[in-house]
Amino acid sequence: MIEINAPMGGKVIEIKVKVGDTVNEDDEVVIIEAMKMELPVVATGSGTVKEVKCNVGDAVEADAVLVVLE
Amino acid sequence: MDIEEKIKELERRNLEAELGGGQKRIEQQHAKGKMTARERIDYLLDKDSFHEIDKFVVHRCHDFEMEKNKTPGDGVVTGYGAINGRLAFIFSQDFTVLGGSLSGAFSEKVCKIMDLALKNGAPVIGLNDSGGARIQEGVVSLGGYGEIFKRNVRSSGIVPQISVIMGPCAGGAVYSPALTDFIVMVKKTSNMFITGPQVIKTVTHADVTAEELGGAMTQNTKSGVAHFAEDSDQSALDRVKEILSYLPQNYREITPTIECNDDPDRSDKSLNNVVPANPRIPYDIKDIIRAVLDNNQFLEVHQHFAKNMVVGFGRLNGTAVGVIANQPRFLAGCLDINASVKCARFVRACDAFNIPLITFVDVPGYLPGIDQEYGGIIKHGAMIIYAYCEATVPKITVITRKAYGGAYVAMCSKHFEGDINYAYPTAEIAVMGPEGACNIVFRKEIADAEDPESTRERLVEEYRNNFASPFKAAELGYIDEIISPEDTRPRLINALMMLKNKKETIPDRRHGNIPL
Repeated sequence: MIEINAPMGGKVIEIKVKVGDTVNEDDEVVIIEAMKMELPVVATGSGTVKEVKCNVGDAVEADAVLVVLE
Repeated sequence: MDIEEKIKELERRNLEAELGGGQKRIEQQHAKGKMTARERIDYLLDKDSFHEIDKFVVHRCHDFEMEKNKTPGDGVVTGYGAINGRLAFIFSQDFTVLGGSLSGAFSEKVCKIMDLALKNGAPVIGLNDSGGARIQEGVVSLGGYGEIFKRNVRSSGIVPQISVIMGPCAGGAVYSPALTDFIVMVKKTSNMFITGPQVIKTVTHADVTAEELGGAMTQNTKSGVAHFAEDSDQSALDRVKEILSYLPQNYREITPTIECNDDPDRSDKSLNNVVPANPRIPYDIKDIIRAVLDNNQFLEVHQHFAKNMVVGFGRLNGTAVGVIANQPRFLAGCLDINASVKCARFVRACDAFNIPLITFVDVPGYLPGIDQEYGGIIKHGAMIIYAYCEATVPKITVITRKAYGGAYVAMCSKHFEGDINYAYPTAEIAVMGPEGACNIVFRKEIADAEDPESTRERLVEEYRNNFASPFKAAELGYIDEIISPEDTRPRLINALMMLKNKKETIPDRRHGNIPL
């Protein structure tokens, strides 16, 4: 199981994957807006999306789990 | 004994010393994927250039029956030789002899070559592979560490010191590497910590492996103690050669210029498209760094630590330079505690050794956060300011996009006697971003408006057009010239040539008091 975390606190503005999708390492999975920058959050490994733990518009803290892969 | 017998005796003793802890232990060393102390020296130094010193030194301990356990050399191989034709002093700890543990005699050997290096103005390379203090020698061993630390400090900023961690390095042993300029660690076979997993388990009941606690990737990513993580002994030693190629022999010299086969006037149209038109979209600052440097070669230092800041070495028309850059791809390029320490340390390393500084700026500000404030971002952020203000080497700055607030000032601005400060037309130099500024300056106007939201949007747009540009700063002379991105390389090379004979003296004093 691989947990993909928020690199910094911010607002989720786009979710690029859904449960069941296959993602490869370095694929963009979520876009977070922070410090007026749209920061792509990339997969830290490859796998299938098991759970998406955030919604568009959510304020997330640094290190919050955004997506779980298996 | 006649002369022939005496020479034979010397050969016998030489062979005995060269075998270190013996064939069996050498095989154990190899089984772990590690080279021996002597193999490492042979690999690092130019062929046949090594001259050993103190080959027959033995320890003087008579406690715990240690007098029966003596090995010529006493666990460390020391001497001097050449790396790419340049003199270097080296000590290589021999794990096959009493686990490479440090005795009084061992320490004296290391100190002897450190003294020679200091007097002769040449780098010291330390290859670390040691179980730590030699317990049997007690406080003599501790004193030995102290003598080495003192020499590390006395040599700091005079000759380059590079440490390679190629095995265990624990307890007091970590502080000699920590006092040197660069630490290279070998993945999987090396670790560094003050107290090991067993002590931590006893005291705090936490379970942690040696690799998790102080392995190469831990010290490269989490703590920033180490600057490089390499796959093998060989690649770590190759890295040492590469680092040395950017450094002078000592602080009185400059790094030798190498012949450059990359056109100094090479402009690069692709650079015009690296910075996205939308200021909210990140990009990789390393695309600009590589495009500008000779042959696109960039030796990144601290690659795995505080990725929101990029530092490393390269060359411009053959001259070695230190590059510092904000990285918009990580944490939006904000300055935080780790990035500040990374930047300040690198700036000081370059300034100590006459290496000009090239700074690329794209910084939205300091990172807001409770952890940052509690962790002391104020004093850590101050280190960047201190380091840049103190530096007297040529300082050239290029603002590629954002340069906001205190972070604008900190990143080698004109106000810190940046020698040449360039900006791209895409630069936004202002006290804060348009949204934040309008909410303060026009607070009343927005609140009183019939349609506050559209009024706010209009004012933000006006602010952006008037202030989020390089022109206000250029009108004041804070920016010397606004340049087209494609011309970055020729402009930097030209400025560097103009600054070749720069001489700036700082006021006499005992020493400054950098915030630590």
